[in-house]
Amino acid sequence: MSAVLTPARLDEALRLLAENPAALAMAGATDLLVRRRGAIPGHEPVLLSLAHVAELQGITEEAAFLAIGAATPFSRIIADPLVHRYAPLLVQAAQTIGGPAIRNMATLGGNICTASPAGDSLPPLYLLDARIELASPAGERALPIAAFILGPGRTALEQGELVTRILLPKAPRFPRERFIKTGRRKALAISVTSFAGRARLDQDGRIAEIRMAWGSVGPTVVRLPALETELVGAPVHAATVERVGLAVHQGVAPISDLRASAGYRRLVAANLATQFVEALGG
Amino acid sequence: MSPREPLQVGRPEIRYDAAAKAAGTEPYAADLYPENLLWAGVVRAGVASGRLRSVETEAALAVPGVVRVLTAADVPGPNRHGIIHRDTPVLVDGRVRHAGDAVALVIAETHAALRQAIGRVRAEIEPLPAVFDPEAALGEDAPLVHEERPGNILLAAEIRKGAADQALAGCEVVVEGEFSTPMQAHIFLETENGVARLEGDGTVSMTVSSQSPFRDRFEVGAALDIPYDRIRIVAPSLGGGFGGKDGATVQCLLALAALHAGGRPVKMHWQREESMAAGYKRHPCRTRYRLGADRDGTLRALYCSLLYDTGAYAHLGGEVMELGMEHAGGPYRIPHVLIEGRCVYTNNPVAGAMRAFGVCQVAFAMESMLDQLAQRLGMDPLELRLRNTLVDGDVNCAGLPLTTSTGMVGCLEMLRDHPLWRERQAWKDGAPPHARRGVGLAAVFNAAGYGGKVRDAAIAKVELNPDGRIAIHNAVADMGQGNACGFVQMAGSILGQDADQLELRQPDTATAYPSGSASAGRTTYTFGNALIKACEELRQRLINRAGLLLFLDDDCDLRLVPGKVIHPPTDREVPLSRLAAFMPREDRVCISQFVAPVCRQVPDTATGFFIGFPHVIFAYGAHLARIEVDLRTGLIRIDDYVAATDGGAVLNPCLFDQQIQGGVAQGIGYALMEEVERREGCIQSESLATYLIPTAVDVPDILSCRLSGNEATGPFGLKGVGEVAMNGPLPAVANAVADACGIRLRRAPFTPERVLLALEEQA
Repeated sequence: MSAVLTPARLDEALRLLAENPAALAMAGATDLLVRRRGAIPGHEPVLLSLAHVAELQGITEEAAFLAIGAATPFSRIIADPLVHRYAPLLVQAAQTIGGPAIRNMATLGGNICTASPAGDSLPPLYLLDARIELASPAGERALPIAAFILGPGRTALEQGELVTRILLPKAPRFPRERFIKTGRRKALAISVTSFAGRARLDQDGRIAEIRMAWGSVGPTVVRLPALETELVGAPVHAATVERVGLAVHQGVAPISDLRASAGYRRLVAANLATQFVEALGG
Repeated sequence: MSPREPLQVGRPEIRYDAAAKAAGTEPYAADLYPENLLWAGVVRAGVASGRLRSVETEAALAVPGVVRVLTAADVPGPNRHGIIHRDTPVLVDGRVRHAGDAVALVIAETHAALRQAIGRVRAEIEPLPAVFDPEAALGEDAPLVHEERPGNILLAAEIRKGAADQALAGCEVVVEGEFSTPMQAHIFLETENGVARLEGDGTVSMTVSSQSPFRDRFEVGAALDIPYDRIRIVAPSLGGGFGGKDGATVQCLLALAALHAGGRPVKMHWQREESMAAGYKRHPCRTRYRLGADRDGTLRALYCSLLYDTGAYAHLGGEVMELGMEHAGGPYRIPHVLIEGRCVYTNNPVAGAMRAFGVCQVAFAMESMLDQLAQRLGMDPLELRLRNTLVDGDVNCAGLPLTTSTGMVGCLEMLRDHPLWRERQAWKDGAPPHARRGVGLAAVFNAAGYGGKVRDAAIAKVELNPDGRIAIHNAVADMGQGNACGFVQMAGSILGQDADQLELRQPDTATAYPSGSASAGRTTYTFGNALIKACEELRQRLINRAGLLLFLDDDCDLRLVPGKVIHPPTDREVPLSRLAAFMPREDRVCISQFVAPVCRQVPDTATGFFIGFPHVIFAYGAHLARIEVDLRTGLIRIDDYVAATDGGAVLNPCLFDQQIQGGVAQGIGYALMEEVERREGCIQSESLATYLIPTAVDVPDILSCRLSGNEATGPFGLKGVGEVAMNGPLPAVANAVADACGIRLRRAPFTPERVLLALEEQA
């Protein structure tokens, strides 16, 4: 059995973490406890539960950004009018995570710190230019999501540091926003490939701005900035769609595992993107 | 207060166990934590093939709280269990044949100590060549899983009717195909578990999640050399079974632990990962089919070859294959048939019984062939089936003349008249962009009972308790399918009682009588027939004894109503509690038996069969699936599902529909996603995060249509319907995908990846 520390305030949490450097931070623990299931008894690490830390809960609106507490569960994010207003793409993605019971426990901060290539909240966070706010006894800092997530299960989190809030800059909305998740079943499934897209057209129906991100097709979320730049000014027609398909096919770097082959992931990553672009014309 | 009403058959009576199960108070074996208990757990081989050289136990014994670490040397008796072939070591004493083989048994004071000690037992296993592919296992140079089994063959058999080779050569149209089906896991909620203790008189008593409490005594007794009257098995309600608890799982290990626990109770409960590694599975199967017909669609000849992979031990592999062979030609009239079957050993996990026991593998192939033929002939697939469907008096593909109720035509006609079938074109035309829609059919059947040469019998006992309630001593386990509820309903109906007046006791070998396993669509059928006779006898007896108490000349105006016997002409009554006080114990108990019918003139079509051939009673079903295929991802969504079923008369429409819906849901998992993934014989999909079953949103509403029928030999005219529905979804979905996209999927399950790659190949 593990000892579980349950601080109620952030300073207390940071102090406990400093005193127990080997402690594993958790909030909903939907991932952590499952992974610890097979561990041999006798070597359990201390768990630091952040579920009751007031500063890490809830959603607040500030002048320039929306702030989501790291330990806010997805069901609360889905139900929140502010998130619907400023980050509907994140709502779409959050609705595909696990099932209702998991979404009541699992948190946005947990999804980020797990840093799984299949984390469903991640592609939207990349497209929303999310910044990750961190706290330690030494002070606070914030990193862009792309700088925070380093690889599968690896983040820029330093010893003694905790993620406190996720900051989403308020920016003009995109008329087209879409998150699509492909799994092997319709709920409670780990993404085999996911896609997030945001786009706007100009008055002539050409692409004015497009941003795309893919999950589960690389060690971290995959972006194709060159393609995004290249598409500016392009008309939405067959040739453009084909170009997108080809670029995605070449641009993603998936692996084969128990859930799907690399080839399948590549194919679906391209299909989801081409369908998104195609639908811009409709 | 409203008058008490007796239970009646044919009505959707509320399950007697509904309240307890909804409230969480129904006792399962897994709920037992007796005082002073010890924990037992297994050290598994972890490699698929090898020779056990030694087991180092010192480090494990040094863990505080560890009581014993047992190895094969501690096993009394022959150390082999099995249902028909006793080939499975309780603890390995030499050869390791699959990764889940048990090499040591640890007993500890706490679960934490147990897990720690299991991790510290070191088994030295010298690796030996292994074989995992069933076709490779047949090769001349293949390593032998059992040295005494040349060619790794557990059973090779044949059904030959007419002259299939010649007839196929002369057929106007021939279609063919090769199919493969996955290893499927049962995924019951309650994993394998039980509690055992050695009583003061030397009896090993055990409460265990088991489908076959009476047979468990033989398996445990034979393996550990314990006389079976020194073994008592109690089988409470199971949290699911589906065949996976038919045959010893924890039983022999628990009994062994109990023998070394100094009279303390010992609990063993496999975690999901262990259940995946060591529990029984559905046989993966490869089939090759050739089906020939006339241009008008009349079926002429069938050849098929079936290869079942039984894994490391026999379990019921031969019998599973035999049942598959008996069903390989589908519910059709085909004059010329040749069915070849082989069941082989490999170093894979052990396959055993699972709902639709060998049949769902062949239903996939045969029903795919029917649609291929319909497409070739340009015929409506439903009309093609109707043209060839078995009717009363026909001879089936195994050569058996049908003498019991045969409702296949009626099931197909229900689909033909159903709006989901009639309006299919309009629905298909409404497919959204990036998707295609299709509608698929399957006509399926499933035998009931053990089949020839395996006596299928039950002994029912009913008893008037001292308090005036009537106890039904159920002797065939209830794994959730509701047979016990059916028994309450039958007894209530015959004895004029309501549920409050009846008590259902779950199987206990000390107080009930041997009645076989809960399996093979025979649970309600066989025990129900015995129960009817016992209840009728008790009814007569209660009425007679009441007449005695009331000084009546005869019994003719006496009636049983809830709680009492009444005599309307004189307005008198005898409460059952008073009657109970009046009757001595032996007078309050009625016992009766039933033996299921078998085929008297066994056709000479089958060779190589050991036992279990032929069957005489079959349930039939016609299934329809409407699906949508996402062309971007290959994901199949099942939008609507209809299952029309001939299960004879219906005892309880609710329970009936639940069996059909459960079978279809499990069949949908088999069709779309369920596959036990292995590497070198070790299971990769060991948890429910990687072994996927359908969730609530993956299964559509399932419409169950009941064909009104009557099986003359059945209790209240019923036939078992627990298995037949499992056979429909895989072929119905395959046929729907072909209808939607023009691709013929022959390898199940139809994962999005397989579908998308098939679409790419087609494009």
